[in-house]
Amino acid sequence: PQDPRVLDSMLPYLTAYYGNPHSRTHAYGWESEAAMEKARQQVADLIGADSREIIFTSGATESNNMAIKGVARFYKSRKKHIITTQTEHKCVLDSCRSLETEGFRVTYLPVKKNGLIDLKELEAAFQPDTSLVSVMTVNNEIGVKQPVHDIGEICRVHKVFFHTDAAQAIGKIPMDVNDMKIDLMSISGHKIYGPKGVGAIYVRRRPRVRLEPLQSGGGQERGLRSGTVPTPLAVGLGAACEVAQQEMEYDHKRISQLAERLVTKIMSEVPDVVMNGDREHRYPGCINLSFAYVEGESLLMALKDVALSSGSACTSASLEPSYVLRAIGTDEDLAHSSIRFGIGRFTTEEEVDYTVQKCIQHVKRLREMSPLWEMVQDGIDLKSIKWTQH
Amino acid sequence: VAVGDAVPRQVVDHYENPRNVGSLDRNAKNVGTGLVGAPACGDVMKLQVEVDENGRIVDARFKTFGCGSAIASSSLATEWVKGKTVDEALKIKNTDIAKELCLPPVKLHCSMLAEDAIKAALADYKLKQDPNKEESEKKA
Repeated sequence: PQDPRVLDSMLPYLTAYYGNPHSRTHAYGWESEAAMEKARQQVADLIGADSREIIFTSGATESNNMAIKGVARFYKSRKKHIITTQTEHKCVLDSCRSLETEGFRVTYLPVKKNGLIDLKELEAAFQPDTSLVSVMTVNNEIGVKQPVHDIGEICRVHKVFFHTDAAQAIGKIPMDVNDMKIDLMSISGHKIYGPKGVGAIYVRRRPRVRLEPLQSGGGQERGLRSGTVPTPLAVGLGAACEVAQQEMEYDHKRISQLAERLVTKIMSEVPDVVMNGDREHRYPGCINLSFAYVEGESLLMALKDVALSSGSACTSASLEPSYVLRAIGTDEDLAHSSIRFGIGRFTTEEEVDYTVQKCIQHVKRLREMSPLWEMVQDGIDLKSIKWTQH
Repeated sequence: VAVGDAVPRQVVDHYENPRNVGSLDRNAKNVGTGLVGAPACGDVMKLQVEVDENGRIVDARFKTFGCGSAIASSSLATEWVKGKTVDEALKIKNTDIAKELCLPPVKLHCSMLAEDAIKAALADYKLKQDPNKEESEKKA
């Protein structure tokens, strides 16, 4: 949800202050421009950047597209190779796929069973013409946190740009672009209790990262992203960043407690529950659990008044189970049994307890209805069965 | 989320109040058991029928690992086979199940699996009645 403080900051720019921030010649424009620049500084402060390095976009999807396609295309005369991972967000993977049709080569690094990349494999993947490494900071499905510090170091040594999709990390864990040697970063407004429809991209100035813009036009945002910046949304993003910076420590502590509560309660009451992704290197607010012998969508139906999601095929338009779970080596039947729980700034203890109670109740009920559970109780090894083709 | 813009009321009903969940004695001669699907596909249905000496299905039970539509399809299947003869039950079509439950296109495979489950249960029952006949038919 949007933080009420964010809404407050936006309202004047949705009502009285409607000037175009790029209009240089009148007071309406100047007011809007001032607000936009203040927002830019707020975003920069959250990540230890200079405000001149922040470009407003329509969201992290656009930022990811800009980073990957923009950098690749700018340096294409000398560099044709990109490194990324198999667990990135669809927009990253799709951008890479689209570049492959343009003649670029992409290495999609596998991940270990805990969801983290192997740094040695990253080292080995560099080629003389690698222009970019893109690895997300926190994964949106399983919550694991990649070792961005180490990745940044490695990329510096190889003199390759490091881009990270930080949509799930910003404002939740401390990020510093200099500390972590990040050259490009994608930021999402609605993931940090800001408005939908806005995001930002951080583009390093020293050493200078060049990129070919995706959007042509009047040259706004340093020529990197033409189009009128939506002042109210930018203001909202800025406010969201400032609030996040203030609340980060408290939020993290509270969310960790709630997450611990949820996982402990469920696992103590229900056997055969697996947590997907590393237990340590993670953001606590994104928990992915597999409930063996129960299919994900059927469990979600019982919890329809809670906003949850599943890696089950039944919940995807393509009927394919989650590729992230497949990448970490989850057995296919456990992929179909997975549920992602998101805990945030506004999640209450009552909500967690309600979700836990309903979850336990319905897992038990669905297991009673499950032929797989029955077979396991009878001592049958499911892996020994010859299932019918369908 | 392809659960549909609103999950069909009938599917919700079968999900919240499933009919005939459970098991029959698979070793009994007049019980046919069908197990179809695969965990790797996210859909497994077990359907059992109890047939009397007149070839009429007097009881049916199901257990399903699958989404709401899969559960509803197999639950409905057990309702429909009860009271039918074996041959009548073999005529149940997945399209009828899908229509009754208002399944969206993306969920049609659930109704197909339910039809497979019925056929598998009845085939198992038939095999138990006359295994020798099946054997000689296969050889011929």
